[in-house]
Amino acid sequence: MSAIVELNNISKIYGEITAIKNLTLKIPHNQIFTLIGPNGSGKTTLLKILAFLEKPTKGTVTFNGELVKEGNLDRLRLHSTMVFQKTALFDTTVAKNIAYGLKFRGLSKNEIDEKLRSVLKTVRLEGYEKRRAKKLSGGEQQRVSLARAIALGTELLLLDEPTANLDQKNMSITEAAISQIVQERNTTIVLATHNMLQTKTLSENVALLINGELIHVGKAIEILEDTKKLAGFARIENIFSGISRITIDGTAIIDVGDDVHIEAALKKEGNVSVFIKPEDIILSKNKLTSSARNVLKGKIVEVYDLGSVVRLKVDVGKTFTVQITKRSFNEMGLNLSTEVFLTFKASSVRII
Amino acid sequence: MTKIGRLKMGANLGVWGIVLIVTAIVSVASVAGTFVYLQMSTRQKLVVATTTSLYDTGLLDEIETRFEEEYPIDIYFISVGTGIAIQFAQRGDADMLLVHAPSEELKFLQDNYGINRKIFAYNFFEIVGPTDDPAHIEDLSPTDALSQIVAAGRNSTAVWVSRGDGSGTHVKEKELWAAADFNWTLIRDEMGWFKETGSGMGKTLITANGLGAYTLTDIGTFLAYSAGSTNQVPNLKTLVTEGAELLNVYSAIAVNITKNPKANFEAATTFTKFMISEEGQEIIGNYGVATYGQALFFPAVNLLKNNTDPTMAQMIKNYAYFDDDDTRTECPLQYRYGHPELYG
Amino acid sequence: MNLRSKFIPTIFFISFLIVMTIIIVLVREFREGVAGAFLLIISGNPEVIEITLRSIYISGTATALAIVWSVPIGLIIGLKDFFGKRFFKGIFNALIGIPTVALGLVLYLMWSSTGPFGFLNLFLSPLGVAVGQAILITPIMVSFTTSAVEAVEPDIKDLAKTLGASEVEAAFAILKESTSGVSLAIVGSFNRAIAELGIALMIGQNIRGQTRVLTTAIAMETAGGDITRSIALAIILLAIVLSINLIINLFQRRLK
Repeated sequence: MSAIVELNNISKIYGEITAIKNLTLKIPHNQIFTLIGPNGSGKTTLLKILAFLEKPTKGTVTFNGELVKEGNLDRLRLHSTMVFQKTALFDTTVAKNIAYGLKFRGLSKNEIDEKLRSVLKTVRLEGYEKRRAKKLSGGEQQRVSLARAIALGTELLLLDEPTANLDQKNMSITEAAISQIVQERNTTIVLATHNMLQTKTLSENVALLINGELIHVGKAIEILEDTKKLAGFARIENIFSGISRITIDGTAIIDVGDDVHIEAALKKEGNVSVFIKPEDIILSKNKLTSSARNVLKGKIVEVYDLGSVVRLKVDVGKTFTVQITKRSFNEMGLNLSTEVFLTFKASSVRII
Repeated sequence: MTKIGRLKMGANLGVWGIVLIVTAIVSVASVAGTFVYLQMSTRQKLVVATTTSLYDTGLLDEIETRFEEEYPIDIYFISVGTGIAIQFAQRGDADMLLVHAPSEELKFLQDNYGINRKIFAYNFFEIVGPTDDPAHIEDLSPTDALSQIVAAGRNSTAVWVSRGDGSGTHVKEKELWAAADFNWTLIRDEMGWFKETGSGMGKTLITANGLGAYTLTDIGTFLAYSAGSTNQVPNLKTLVTEGAELLNVYSAIAVNITKNPKANFEAATTFTKFMISEEGQEIIGNYGVATYGQALFFPAVNLLKNNTDPTMAQMIKNYAYFDDDDTRTECPLQYRYGHPELYG
Repeated sequence: MNLRSKFIPTIFFISFLIVMTIIIVLVREFREGVAGAFLLIISGNPEVIEITLRSIYISGTATALAIVWSVPIGLIIGLKDFFGKRFFKGIFNALIGIPTVALGLVLYLMWSSTGPFGFLNLFLSPLGVAVGQAILITPIMVSFTTSAVEAVEPDIKDLAKTLGASEVEAAFAILKESTSGVSLAIVGSFNRAIAELGIALMIGQNIRGQTRVLTTAIAMETAGGDITRSIALAIILLAIVLSINLIINLFQRRLK
């Protein structure tokens, strides 16, 4: 497959800080390419270079075979656009925000209106044209930013953490919009994230970046299975490795150590790595009788107040991360060292 | 496609473009308009530096109105302290002076800054004080009055307020103290009864009113404050009005065109002639009668030329004339220029 | 808690108005001054109208002149990084507080008949006062404009570029984002110009029919004893300043 962008041994140095070191990468045409890495790994810098907003300190960049120089930056920027992690909006209406970039591409007023309606539909913000962009909710603002970028129809679309800080509803609209673009046009999307799960649902090719260095390029599966490199930063909680035995009923019991056994609806035997989403775990003060196969007793060892939800770390032998609403937290009168029970279904246990 | 897009962007500067263009147009229009207007104007400009006490009476506004009706000359009156008026004239920022300080005027002539001095009016300073007159100075001579005030002051029954700001009035006050045999520099330090305001005539009167004190004032300001729409100094009344020492003489002096060629000597001469003409002198003599019931100024031209009141004429000559060989004149010959008819 | 805090500003404002009204009614000079002001305005007194129009014309021209050179300078300082940037910013900030009489004196010495720029004939002319005021307000306009530009989120520049703008076009985008700040700069400068006395007095000399403006007339009436008239003029000056501010505010909302 041909590459739309080739980065040859590039480095980016800001004064004393080396953001990217000796990176060589080919981004293939017309697919979603994901950059994974913890915060500070250089993902944003790399995206900015791909957006032609920054030039590498060393090394070269080619776009569709053309070498990128000072002289053609302005022109090439018309072929690549980036949606920032922190939403940036002009202090005006949604319509004017979206139309801004279109004015540079010589579209007529009618064409602009047409495009405007179309992209607002894609991000499910129909009728928002006259609303003041800065007065929208956080999720709506991010969708406007996305719509603004999509409207340009650039060959290269760069998204920096597009679904971070989004609630479920906004997240699914965004993900649907991204899929739609890939299907409908010849666009290459490069997406930066530290959310592992996004990769499995959305793309094939993935590059892992840690501390400005390219650790691995390959299929999503390959990287996900190499849990050592990821678990430190990825937002996957409750990852456990152990030995799995299949029972007579067809489920598997995994011994993950420290006298903790997890029952999973899986058919694998031997060494496995599994994870359970914190949202799938029920927290109670008393032992629950239910259909759930896993009931573990432990103590709360850490509490994180995230506003409307509370994240708790519970030590049942191994430490689990659980998430409940603030209201429940208060009503149940929970605190550090409170004894609790964790309950979750066998089907909630997923394999990495 | 991109080039067209960029052109559109350039043309569509939006609000900012409009603001910048509008302000540029306004600025250019104002500046250009002013210059064009000045070029096209057929009227001349005459800058007259004068003192606040003269200007504030309102006489000059009336003279200006009448003068500008008859002549194509716009008068610009700059009204400042006597000293500053003289400085403006020295620097050529004014074309003539209207002042009332003969000692300063002589120096002005002697330093070759001025020519063609002409006395056009006179009046008197007055001493005003509390209505009950604790120092009993009413109708005394000025020097006697001051002696009474000092005695009463030291006795804590009277207070004196002085302008203390180097103005023409203040200069006059110091001359009076000297004439009454007091050392002003010592007197002013006598605490308790000698107060200095350091400010203009109006504020000084208000202070005197508040303290129930005596002070020296020009007639115009006092009338403006007491007899205007409301009496702002109800505790004060006029007590001493007569005496050669209180004489106040006004003259016009043109800026010396040989020293300062840019001065508008012609217009200055025209104006001076207007001031000393029958019409001008009538305006001066009538000013204030309607509003205050008394005239604020006395015309001087006829008096001096025809000696209609010998005593008064002599007082003026003693005070405001200058030596010229063995005679005294309002303007010594060497300071006259080009218009002998002024002194005919 | 929310409900109460919404009404606090309104309550403050109304109490302020009530106190002001009481003071005006009780103090004779204010009573007569306010009554006098209405009479003067309603009767269309020609001299008052002439002075008012001249004040607006002179200070308006001063503001327009100042915009032409100050806003671009302010924008450039705000947008670019260059050697000595901090120094320049510091100087403009410091010059905001020039005493008007000091500046007026300096300008007089330069424009006096015997001064180096006397040939410009700016002394005793309305244009001279306008130019003097323009110089006076330049530091304010530059400083406020620079601040307005710097207050724009730094991401905006990259945002504009990634949407296709060139460097110059991106700079314009930043300017557009700083509109409200720059309006404030302009309005604040106009206020300073129309309310100043030192320059109008020194360069214009309060000449009737030629260079008399609201501030110099107020000073003259106060010194001359007609407090009523000076209060009337002061009220007119206040009214102008408030109206202009209100108009610009409303205009700004529409813009966005």
